[in-house]
Amino acid sequence: MEETLYLKGEQIKDVNQYDFPGLKKALNIGQENIIAEIKKSGLKGRGGAGFPTGLKWDLARQQDSDQKYMICNGDEGEPGTFKDRYLMEERPLKVLEGIIIGAYASGASEGYVYIRGEYTDAIKIFNKVIEEAEEAGVLGENILDSSFSFNLKLIKGAGAYVCGDETSLINSIEGKRGSSRIKPPYPVAKGLYDKPTVVNNVETLTAAAEIINQGADSYTALGTENSRGTKLICLSGDVNEPGLYEVAFGQTTLKKIIDELGQGVKDNREMKFVIPGGISTALLEKENLDISYTYEDIEEAGSSLGSGAIIVVADGHNLVDLMLNVSRFFMDETCGTCFPCREGNRQVYHMLKETADNGGFSSEQLEIIEDIGDTIHLAARCGLGQTSLNFIKSVFANYKDELMEKGVNRC
Amino acid sequence: MLNVKIDGQKLEVEEGTTILEAAKKAHIKIPTLCYEEGLSIYGGCRLCVVEVEGQRLLQPACATEVEDGMAVETHSPKVREVRKNLFELIIASHDISCELNCLTCSRSDSCELREIAEDIGVNEIRLDPLNKGYKEDMSSYSIVREPNKCITCGRCIRKCEEVQGIGIFTMANRGPSTIVTTFEDKGMGNVECTNCGQCITACPTGALHEVYHDEGVWNALHDDSKHVVVQTAPAVRVAISEPFGDKPGTIATGQMVAALKRLGFDKVFDTNFTADLTIMEEGTELIERINEGGTLPLFTSCSPGWIKFIEHFYPEYLEHVSSCKSPQQMFGAIAKTYYAERNNIPREDMVVVSVMPCTAKKFEAKRAEMNGDVDYVLTTRELARMIKAAGIDLLNLEEEDYDDLLGVSSGAANIFGATGGVMEAALRTAYELITGKELENIDITAVRGVTGIKEAEVDINGLTVRVAVAHGLGNARKLMERIKEGREYHFVEFMACPGGCIGGGGQPISASLSSAEIIDKRIKSIYEIDSSKKMRKSHENPYIQKLYEEYLEKPGSHKAHELLHTHYLARGV
Repeated sequence: MEETLYLKGEQIKDVNQYDFPGLKKALNIGQENIIAEIKKSGLKGRGGAGFPTGLKWDLARQQDSDQKYMICNGDEGEPGTFKDRYLMEERPLKVLEGIIIGAYASGASEGYVYIRGEYTDAIKIFNKVIEEAEEAGVLGENILDSSFSFNLKLIKGAGAYVCGDETSLINSIEGKRGSSRIKPPYPVAKGLYDKPTVVNNVETLTAAAEIINQGADSYTALGTENSRGTKLICLSGDVNEPGLYEVAFGQTTLKKIIDELGQGVKDNREMKFVIPGGISTALLEKENLDISYTYEDIEEAGSSLGSGAIIVVADGHNLVDLMLNVSRFFMDETCGTCFPCREGNRQVYHMLKETADNGGFSSEQLEIIEDIGDTIHLAARCGLGQTSLNFIKSVFANYKDELMEKGVNRC
Repeated sequence: MLNVKIDGQKLEVEEGTTILEAAKKAHIKIPTLCYEEGLSIYGGCRLCVVEVEGQRLLQPACATEVEDGMAVETHSPKVREVRKNLFELIIASHDISCELNCLTCSRSDSCELREIAEDIGVNEIRLDPLNKGYKEDMSSYSIVREPNKCITCGRCIRKCEEVQGIGIFTMANRGPSTIVTTFEDKGMGNVECTNCGQCITACPTGALHEVYHDEGVWNALHDDSKHVVVQTAPAVRVAISEPFGDKPGTIATGQMVAALKRLGFDKVFDTNFTADLTIMEEGTELIERINEGGTLPLFTSCSPGWIKFIEHFYPEYLEHVSSCKSPQQMFGAIAKTYYAERNNIPREDMVVVSVMPCTAKKFEAKRAEMNGDVDYVLTTRELARMIKAAGIDLLNLEEEDYDDLLGVSSGAANIFGATGGVMEAALRTAYELITGKELENIDITAVRGVTGIKEAEVDINGLTVRVAVAHGLGNARKLMERIKEGREYHFVEFMACPGGCIGGGGQPISASLSSAEIIDKRIKSIYEIDSSKKMRKSHENPYIQKLYEEYLEKPGSHKAHELLHTHYLARGV
């Protein structure tokens, strides 16, 4: 099986060597045509939520405001995800191009690229890119001799997972506590400093740059009706060849991705299950992996494509340890604002820990975890909370027998 | 107008109405915890989540605006289940345990959690309480924080920031370590806290309460060698019966006096007496400043929360603050000199207790300038607790009168308890002292009411006296900024708490009624007491006249300055 190189294609890193073909074309065709092209391409947000990008830009463009902002979300924090890091380190000019096109289309004159603090290389590279782009006239006043002016600043994240949520990220840029805002109003209407703001994921913007460059048809030629184009996949866990791959939607299955791109399960072990979209998604059992890699097929199977992090888990891991690891992450990373997420994740962690020490869950504990899971899902304030127990709930749903009292099996 | 269906009931609401507000209109109560009327929406507790037709997830009623054609289920099985689960989570984080349980809680009679438990029909708690292991904050003279009881709803933070305009609290850390704390965890006694206690009234649990003085008072009452006198602030009498189940605003002056006598106080006096005295001193100070070209505008000094506020935030304006002590401290000074001397009681045997609607008064009594004239300050809530602890059936007591000498007061003194009251009382006296004529219309309504900042002009002998009144420190700051910008006044009244003292941080707290409703009712009663009195001007109080004749000579005398005036401290931030 071959990768489909749409975003990963050859890329120049020197600003002076790169021609910014997408940006030039964008400045030429104007805001409305850019948005029409992106809408036509069917591009959806690649941060995990999958909101149509063209629509987002259009909503921001239609806002009547003296100031609008464009934010590139590079606060990649979902465990197992490293696609945005790759793009920012290896394809920074394409990312930059996407940011400027998005800004132009939605009418933003100021922008931020918010990069996860731990991504020191990406930060170094992007700092340099911004500086060189300013010198080359790709950023700043009258970009590429057009009438469009746009300034870009880099913000380093300070280590909070929740700041990957767009409203938390906006609070963070404003110097406030990183916690989600109540929506509506959505950022496109009232975002950074209460001005219309577009927040796009790194991969989304990179794809947008390529779509404008190659035309929407090049993108719609790939994928399915509901899942257009390609997706960067972060393959990790118990596979022989973990790494970053690009696949066209609908042209391969989860199983093939693991067996062919990943060269199968490590050390010839038996596979147990796969987490198809990062640790805030439900697991899929090994029997259910022969499904097409699209948003819709994975959803149909009861999980989500999420951010594109595929984590392969072989037999032999302690299920409670795995759950504890995930639970600890969410417990520590809840912003602390909404009660179900803060208290629910704390309680679930304590219950898992207790069981890890004592062996086996009681049916009452199981019921409580299920209740907490439903409550968080239905009532939490943001996506972090709503999805925080997806994985743990799915472990209980699939391996209940193994987990009941006196049954903490080595599986 | 928008059409909405809530639990099957159709109604029309205006655009911008939240589901919570719409449900209230339809007489449906949705439980809330982090929501408080008058504060910004937080959307954290999620107890108010409801089912909106066509939406997969539940929506918070407090933060979701009604859309045309919306259908909402506020108590569907799904919603009720989620609320019960949520409540279990909240209770587990509230640290109920044998050592720290409801029985000893400051809010045992006004616990919002208990009220919510009833509203949502909680029938089991499956989670063990978490031991959070935080230390109590005992750094303040006025307020104690028990972070283990805190459920981090943020109401104290928002009250302090949005209503009082200060913001001593903040959320720190994240995840389950999220806590409400002060800057660098310094403690309430070491930051710019004004001790107003509005945070206590905002707290739905007992995580915030006053520094208790009742134990000390019990000990003094049981000590035969002590002569224990008590003074009661004007705002206490219209609130003291609330913890006994009476409606807010019920006037219980006589019953309260009777209860205090039964508790064993040697004399039951009235802070109103020294409120009249304050008017004499402050009125004289105002007239002097106007006549002699002194610093104007003159600012009132009765509210210790306001005093600490100006000391922190506008120290350059301290010259403007009246040098008069507050009525509480004037009372302490007079009780331990004039009263003690007349009755041959050695100062060291005198114990002065005050009952105040206020937590900042506890701090005030501890100020070095006040010489320990007031020994103990009870809040209205603490007095209620003492009355209950003594088994006294407050509501059914025969009314009794205050003791003479320091117990007689005018109606003007009583309105000190409401915003604008000090101003009105001062104007009644200043007018007559300056003009020598009787004031025709004694009710100066322009300075009454709950508008945040009130302005008025009063003609006194051809001089147009410009006055302003602000209540709540957020409004105080606004008015100070106006003054900074050059707005000119002669006299300005500032009260730290919304509504004035009747809305003080030491007043009874209701788990169910909104503070705006309660404030309205208490204010009405304050003016009712005034209008029912024959003597309604401070300078007409015969015991005040007698005090000057026998002891102080005249307002502003050397002796008066020694006992009744003070100075302030530029604290800064």
